[in-house]
Amino acid sequence: MSFQVMMHELGEGMLKSMGIFSLTLLFALPLGLLVSFGRMSKNRLLKGVVWTYISIMRGTPLMLQLLAVYFGPFYLAGLKLGSNWRFTAIILAFSVNYAAYFAEIYRSGIESMPPGQYEAAQLLGYTKVSTFMRIIFPQVIKRILPAVTNEVITLIKDTSLAFSLAYAEMFTIAKQIAAKETSFMPFLAAAVFYYVFNALIAFLMERIEKAMAYYT
Amino acid sequence: MPLLEMKHIRKRFDENEVIRDISLRVDKGEILSIIGPSGSGKSTMLRCATMLETIDSGEIWYMDERAAYVDAKGSKVYPRGEEQKKVRSYFGLVFQNFNLFPHYSVMKNITDPPIHNQKRQKAEVYEEARMLLKKMGLEDKENAYPCQLSGGQCQRVAIARALALNPQILFFDEPTSALDPELTGEVLKVIRSLADLHIAMVIVTHEMNFAREISDHIIFMDQGVVAVEGKPEDVFNAEHARMRAFLGKLEH
Amino acid sequence: MRKKILVTVMSAMLACSMLGTCAMAGETEAEGTGLAAEGTLVVGFDAEYPPYGYMDDNGDYTGFDLDLAQAVCELEGWTMEAKPIDWDSKDMELNSGSIDCIWNGFTMNGREDDYTFSVPYVNNSQVIVTAEDSGIDSLAALEGKTVGVQADSAALALLSEGGEQADLAGTFGDLTQFADYNTAFAELMAGSLDAVAIDIGVAQYQINGREGYVILDEYLNAEQYAVGVKKGNTVLADIIDKDLAIMLENGSFEEIAAKYADMGIKADMLCLAESLGLDETEAENA
Repeated sequence: MSFQVMMHELGEGMLKSMGIFSLTLLFALPLGLLVSFGRMSKNRLLKGVVWTYISIMRGTPLMLQLLAVYFGPFYLAGLKLGSNWRFTAIILAFSVNYAAYFAEIYRSGIESMPPGQYEAAQLLGYTKVSTFMRIIFPQVIKRILPAVTNEVITLIKDTSLAFSLAYAEMFTIAKQIAAKETSFMPFLAAAVFYYVFNALIAFLMERIEKAMAYYT
Repeated sequence: MPLLEMKHIRKRFDENEVIRDISLRVDKGEILSIIGPSGSGKSTMLRCATMLETIDSGEIWYMDERAAYVDAKGSKVYPRGEEQKKVRSYFGLVFQNFNLFPHYSVMKNITDPPIHNQKRQKAEVYEEARMLLKKMGLEDKENAYPCQLSGGQCQRVAIARALALNPQILFFDEPTSALDPELTGEVLKVIRSLADLHIAMVIVTHEMNFAREISDHIIFMDQGVVAVEGKPEDVFNAEHARMRAFLGKLEH
Repeated sequence: MRKKILVTVMSAMLACSMLGTCAMAGETEAEGTGLAAEGTLVVGFDAEYPPYGYMDDNGDYTGFDLDLAQAVCELEGWTMEAKPIDWDSKDMELNSGSIDCIWNGFTMNGREDDYTFSVPYVNNSQVIVTAEDSGIDSLAALEGKTVGVQADSAALALLSEGGEQADLAGTFGDLTQFADYNTAFAELMAGSLDAVAIDIGVAQYQINGREGYVILDEYLNAEQYAVGVKKGNTVLADIIDKDLAIMLENGSFEEIAAKYADMGIKADMLCLAESLGLDETEAENA
């Protein structure tokens, strides 16, 4: 296999990895916020349910969750798995898993906010919703950014787990080329792909951090 | 007509009764200082008046309207919705720790509440904010962020922020306690200058000379009750053992 | 073994549903062609298994087995979808209908209870590969040595307790599992493995691509490759058998095999004629 073909194949795999990556973030970031509200809820039932959910998501391997989400409808309900279900299941499993981690990050950020900020907002006439949206959340984002960056970088590398559902993302392609070529070279190329993508994300996150560094 | 009346207020935290049957009133343009040792319930009284804490019994009246009370069955009745908005618009509070919004510039800290919460005209609010900043001696700081200011400057911004909502009555919760001694003067000077605005003020403070000089009325609180009250000279000359002890401690 | 653990945990998690699964195994077969989706044969394979299934120079999936599957599809007027799967999840993929068959150098011996198989078409052997200069020249010489074997492979089953060569494995110093052949050969090269137990076709492919390795003359066993479909799906297995017979008759089976001859599919390994009872040629296979 020529170098060009290999890079082309890996590039296509990378697009698939990036697809999982961006869709997961798109769903998991807002979902995580909702989950964190549930986790901090005064309703004990809701709190308990959300606690259990987070505990399962963080306490079992993502690979197992992928298998459970994909094969679950068949084994539990005997449903036929359509051909679109594979990708949907991957995004669903990743989103639901990462939402649990993000929820705990949001929670740590929200709970670290001094009560004085809420009190000042109340005295100045902000509603509960405006208090959160205008006063609390922007500051929470700044506080949790380093932790979110960590998760995001982990997610890039976790996309390779999608292969357990037979989804040929970048790392899978690298393994297949390596098997065919009986060589480790494709892995080196894959490492470069991951590294460059990670560096890009790290750079972007750093820019966001800098943009928020105008206050302490 | 009193701006604020608090009648037979009681407040407990767990087993600890912090306020035991206190009543007070504040009239238009009046300046009331509350003094007393730490833990005497001064700040709690202020937090009850501003509804940051709920009362366990008694009534709170603003502008001849019963704003909050505890009914015969012991349920706490607090205003909601539009009524709550209206009651809250009567007063402002200056915190010990300023509680400025760190992600907003000085200007935005002052102008965001009137624009966003009172739906007032932007141009008008900005103009008024600049006037307030000038009064606070901070006209060159409108684009600064709180983290770039000294404690004294932050507290003056916080005062401007509270004033921008045009409250009838302004509460100060130990406004100089978090400041280095050399910075307290500038803040006290600003508060003094507000007397000209004829806005009613309730000040919890440890600055005895300041309280004596500015107040129309002083309350000395001790162990959750009003121990001494009256005009400044009367209070400071009163023969009350615990107050004498308190004042004596401050002098040394 | 990873998959075994996964399956165990999943069974525990979905304990009640597993009963339902068994009950369902018989009823989900479609009438007619036995395909999950009419007109499309989804072939599950391990794309790291040249020459049977792998990615070619153009980045397309190809291999001896995929070519055979393609030929079946052409005979039936089906579309073929080559689905590279995680080998560890092959049972779940097959049982849930995500794939229609496993066609991938799939050893049938010892798996008869778990799948319905087509006729066998390749005589395979599990063999031992060592470095040329290792000094190991017989199975007996493996005593005390470290031998590598792919996780969840036929070779592992052979060497594990209850397998034909379990006694031999007892003489090894250690039997370690690896995930893929690249890693195994790197370990062999680095000296952390003394030998690798592996399918002969794959062994020949791997040795062609590398310097300094040999296959021991003594084989571990003789076994056969067949196409695996979901247990009970005889409709699809019969269609495949019928088409393989046609391909044998019109010569296309041998044509396809010839394409992969220098990649490890030797003519003497083919056993389709024998299986179909037309063994005028290679009858020497055990």
